[in-house]
Amino acid sequence: MALPWLESLPVFGSMPAAAAANAAPPVTAYPQRFAAMFMGCGISPEHWWAKGTGAAMELGKSLSPLEGLKTKINVIDGLFNQNATGQGIHPAMTGNLLSGVPFTSGSTIQGGISMDQMLANTVGQHTLQASMVLACEQAITGYHESNFSNAYSSHVSWQSSNSPVPNELYPSLAFDSLFENRGSARNLSVLDRVKDRAEHLGRRISSSDNAKLDEYLTSVREVERNIERMRANLDKAEDNARGRPLLSMKRPENGLPEDYRDHARLMCDIIALAFQTDKTRIATLILARDLSGLYYPFLNAREAHHGESHYDTSENYERITRFHVSQLAYLAERLEAMPEGEGTVLDNTCLMFLSNMISGTRHDNQRVPLVTAGGLGGTLQTGRVLDYTEAGNSNRKLCSLYLGLMDRMGVKLDQFGDADHRLALL
Amino acid sequence: MSVYDSMASVVKDHEHWSTVLELLEYEEMPPTKAKKHPSAGERQDVVSWLRSVRQAEMLRNAGDPGPVLPRRLSHPEFNYTVRDLTGADIQPAREFPIDPTNTAGFDNSGESLAMSPALMNKYLQAAREISEHMYLKADGFAFAPHPMMNNTDRDQFFVHRIIEFYSRQKIDYTDYFHAAWKYRFRTVLRRGNEPLEAFAAEAGLSPKYLTTIWELLEGEDDNIGPLEKLRTMWKALPTIRVNSASGIMRMTNTARAACSQMSDYVAQVRAKVEPRFPNMHVGQVSAYQLPMLTWKNQQYATHRMKFDPAQLQVAGEPPAPPPEPEVAAEYRYGPGPTQFIVNEPGDPDLAVPAGERARYEAAFARFCSVFPDMFYKDKRGLNYFTTRDSEGGRYLSSGFHNVLGYFRDDQPLYELILDEEQQRELDELWYDLDFVASVHSRMYAEFALGGTRDADVMTEFGEGPEVTLLGDGDYAMNVTREDNIQMLADMYMENARDGGTEIGIQAVADYFQNHKDRIREINQARIDAQPSHLAALVDFAERAYRRPLSADERNGYLEFYRTALEGGELDHEAAMRDTITSVLMSPDFLYRLDLMQGELTGIQPLSGYDLASRLSYFLWSSMPDAELLERAAAGDLHQPEVLTAQARRMLKDPRARALALEFGGNWLNFRRFDTLATVDRERFKTFDDDLREAMFEEPIRFLQDMIQQNRPVLDILYGRDTFVNTALAKHYGISEFELETLEKTEGGWMHIDNVARYERGGLLPMAAFLTQNAPGLRTSPVKRGDWVVKFVLGERVPPPPPGVPELPQDETQSDLSLRELLARHRDDPNCSSCHDRNDPLGLVFEGYGPIGERRTQDLAGRPIDASTEFPGGSTGTGLDGLRQYIRDERQGDFIRNLSSKLVAYALNRSLILSDEPLVDNMIAKLAQDEHRFESLVQSIITSPQFLNKRGNTTSLASN
Repeated sequence: MALPWLESLPVFGSMPAAAAANAAPPVTAYPQRFAAMFMGCGISPEHWWAKGTGAAMELGKSLSPLEGLKTKINVIDGLFNQNATGQGIHPAMTGNLLSGVPFTSGSTIQGGISMDQMLANTVGQHTLQASMVLACEQAITGYHESNFSNAYSSHVSWQSSNSPVPNELYPSLAFDSLFENRGSARNLSVLDRVKDRAEHLGRRISSSDNAKLDEYLTSVREVERNIERMRANLDKAEDNARGRPLLSMKRPENGLPEDYRDHARLMCDIIALAFQTDKTRIATLILARDLSGLYYPFLNAREAHHGESHYDTSENYERITRFHVSQLAYLAERLEAMPEGEGTVLDNTCLMFLSNMISGTRHDNQRVPLVTAGGLGGTLQTGRVLDYTEAGNSNRKLCSLYLGLMDRMGVKLDQFGDADHRLALL
Repeated sequence: MSVYDSMASVVKDHEHWSTVLELLEYEEMPPTKAKKHPSAGERQDVVSWLRSVRQAEMLRNAGDPGPVLPRRLSHPEFNYTVRDLTGADIQPAREFPIDPTNTAGFDNSGESLAMSPALMNKYLQAAREISEHMYLKADGFAFAPHPMMNNTDRDQFFVHRIIEFYSRQKIDYTDYFHAAWKYRFRTVLRRGNEPLEAFAAEAGLSPKYLTTIWELLEGEDDNIGPLEKLRTMWKALPTIRVNSASGIMRMTNTARAACSQMSDYVAQVRAKVEPRFPNMHVGQVSAYQLPMLTWKNQQYATHRMKFDPAQLQVAGEPPAPPPEPEVAAEYRYGPGPTQFIVNEPGDPDLAVPAGERARYEAAFARFCSVFPDMFYKDKRGLNYFTTRDSEGGRYLSSGFHNVLGYFRDDQPLYELILDEEQQRELDELWYDLDFVASVHSRMYAEFALGGTRDADVMTEFGEGPEVTLLGDGDYAMNVTREDNIQMLADMYMENARDGGTEIGIQAVADYFQNHKDRIREINQARIDAQPSHLAALVDFAERAYRRPLSADERNGYLEFYRTALEGGELDHEAAMRDTITSVLMSPDFLYRLDLMQGELTGIQPLSGYDLASRLSYFLWSSMPDAELLERAAAGDLHQPEVLTAQARRMLKDPRARALALEFGGNWLNFRRFDTLATVDRERFKTFDDDLREAMFEEPIRFLQDMIQQNRPVLDILYGRDTFVNTALAKHYGISEFELETLEKTEGGWMHIDNVARYERGGLLPMAAFLTQNAPGLRTSPVKRGDWVVKFVLGERVPPPPPGVPELPQDETQSDLSLRELLARHRDDPNCSSCHDRNDPLGLVFEGYGPIGERRTQDLAGRPIDASTEFPGGSTGTGLDGLRQYIRDERQGDFIRNLSSKLVAYALNRSLILSDEPLVDNMIAKLAQDEHRFESLVQSIITSPQFLNKRGNTTSLASN
């Protein structure tokens, strides 16, 4: 089978940035997927570095879990989210991380649609679920002392300007949402019921009434058929996947896993499964929210995540950082093990791992640590280290990166968040 | 022509023949260029024949209800109906495609409203969305203006409502002193027979609290210390001697200033004797652990109407030793060390003569019981406990540091200000908050899972026993289960007993007991509430259907709920949402089934419920309200006096705005002005979204006023008043000084009389119409004239033929004025027949620029000439000229047009020939009724067209 998009893949580093950004997304035989993975309170800055390219890339200690994936990742440094700076620490650095919108403090929750949901609105129309928004940690509400609602710390994914997407915390429910087709089944039963009513009406009405009610009935039936068709397609996608080693996964237990390691792993498995079977193409996973209260006894860290982050040069926090990066590595390897066409699911995916600040000690978000994994269907070069630190503020916007990624998935926007141009050299 | 082979076929296509008639009468056809023209006599013969055919046909079927199709709700109707059904203005159709209109220009008829799978999908999404706004209450359910699917939404909803409740209360002492002062002089003010309550009511004050203050000020008890001082100030307030307006005004201002000084005095004394509470360590339980913080909160909340006796400076008594400053580390997010109040010695406000402590304490107690240190606490600052905190901005959900920490602290407001009804309302808000957002259970879970133990806090103040429990999986999963609460409570109690005081130990015990009780209570209430939810579900469906449900229908919904619950593995709340979704998707809700012919034959009166729907969708574009449905149930809605009384009531209701907007907006073609994008904002910098919104609002307000105040419809043409907000007033050049004198209503809108000097008044010179009918950088006398002729006067004007020469885009780009260019255009006989009718009526508006601003020069600097020669030869200038012309020659056209349009709107269909007698009657009746708007409505709703429907097999072959 010919794979034309591979032929057009530019030689490493040779394609001008503007051309890459403007190139139409290639017609890929396989769906493109995107997942954002978030870890709050910053990383371990001393151990977060990379240099060199491709297989020869060298990685700092915190990034070492990605050693086996070096040709498939990009380590991107120096980006920042202007509207998340100068407002106060923590929540005000987090709630708009994926949207880039300006923020105000006070009693009204006011954010903006995040890039994952922007993608979900378009890309998600093809799948059972437009997106999955998962978290390994319960949201907190209340107010931070900076006068920003803690909702901003708990949610990076926003469906509208005033409402965050609820995080799914339970692996069992996330799993069910993929396999029981609950949402569409629920809609089918609603439609079934109103169809009965319309048919009943139809039996006792005149012909001219009937013409109008017929429109109703026909429309209900058509919507019903569409839902059924989509469900059938999904089954087919599962069948397609069946030819290859389908990730085997049994339904997680009800309730929350007691061990955080199990929790994170299950969530990654569910995303992998959802991507492979094309139940959704967009996922967001909060590994540890901002102001995280997670404890890591298995890493010998005594304090909770947020407390440890105030000592970001400590060995404890390095281990915590590395642990979360290993979740990225785990998911990437999962996807890499799933053949798709002549490549793998990872090749058709972009995983984007990021935190809300570079230093938890200094609460510094002038740079945002970020790693991507996967080639997004041949549209994203990998194996690179990109450093925008010295590029000047207007050329190092996080939202410019989002514009570039959304472009590649066919969502072309003139402007997003604070950015109106694509990130150079992406 | 050959298709018309019989009389019946001519009658059937009467609309077409009406056009033929009109063209013949106006001698527009055959066209001037035509080779053959009928003689005047021949023309007259055809005209007479057509007229007589029409006349006969019209009378034969007069009052025929006509063919009205059942149809889905239009998008505006859907929005209004959802608003009235749910009580939340959700606007679910805001992103639906725009509904098409029928030939009469309205989007409310089966002729144009169709359903499609794509739209059905949108209805499904909308129904889901609406169901997500639902929240379950202890008794039934309600809807919020935003989704209520997560705790953030739920918290926010109630926090806003509680804060809004608080801020609605008047708590400024100055207002109360001032009202009491007026009451003191009620006799001079010739209000001697009015009770104190009336003086409270006029100032929006609490009558209860005003009475309390009055009694304190007028009382003689404990007349020492702060009471004596305050009463002295009270007695010294200025006296009103004579009842003259200017005198009273002057006195009022002087008295207000003095009342404000009294208020300052109260605050000054109050701040010196406010109780302060130390942080309490209890054995091994730190003062910074939640049980102790909660205790401290309670101390403040229950002492707001008390004072600290240790602050009194009694002669002969040694001064009370200042409290030990607390040694706790300065922790900026925490409660921090208590800031004790230290007063200077010799403070006259606190001075007590030797041996008089007891008497003075009584006076201070009385004083402080009426003047609390604060009425309620709705915000928390960085330091959680500081009573008055200028940096406060974190609202009710904010606990100590970052913790979720609701704590109700409003006892003085509750006891002193609120009446029983208000107390109930506030209690209910707080209860619903807990019920809906699980506040206690969440707060406790956060605490018990270590979430309150920020590492910083822990390092400073030590960790609680909960941290040691976290490794226990079952505990962590079920932290609010009673045995787990007890387990943690026991550990805390052990720590507390290890050296704690009785009070402290009790405080720890209370903390756990309160949470346990409250969590149990709410859990139980949730279960107990389920039957009420199902009852509410049936009510909801009945209201959505706008008629009583049959037993089968009721059971059907309960059955659906049960199936969802049992078969669908949904929980109660999700099953409720699904059932609500199915109600909202039902044709009985989405469609106007009241318009259905059903199994009727012949012409039949509407049922009471069908009539209720018809009336409410006419006047409100929405569902009938409870009163209307009651009348339908009682079966007397058909009685003319009941029907007209209901209509009168409904026209006064705010929901009648829909008639102004949906009828007026479509009739006068400004319904989409709020999205108008033709203005060049670079050139017209004052035109922003606010001004556009205001321009859109002006005609709506005007028409709504006409509807609600039952004004003459001729005010549309000749009115001397209008409505403005600040933005529009500025645009119209109305002075700020004049605005100051106007009464502001909701949204900052003001009614302004006599705006003739600004060349405004009535609808004709409103900026919306002038702007909409001006293409960017020039005016358009053609479009403005066309608007008057077509929409206001109802004359049929054909669209321009292809190939007309373009006018310049920009007034500055042409050597000739528009007037001159148009005159040239009219020289062409092909163009003149229409332009002679339009342009003269548009030229009078030349004194208004492209965004409706008044002007004396056009954009190229040429002086404006707003004079014109009207069709028929009369002349006039500007707005007044146009009005005079209409009054003299066209008023009848206007009235007939308005009447016909309103009939089409009310009947949900285009007019048919047999409606003409109704229109004629309406016009005659209107003249008798001083042209008041309600007359039109009453004529329509009592007409046979409105009261009946045409059944299935009616033999009206002609139509």
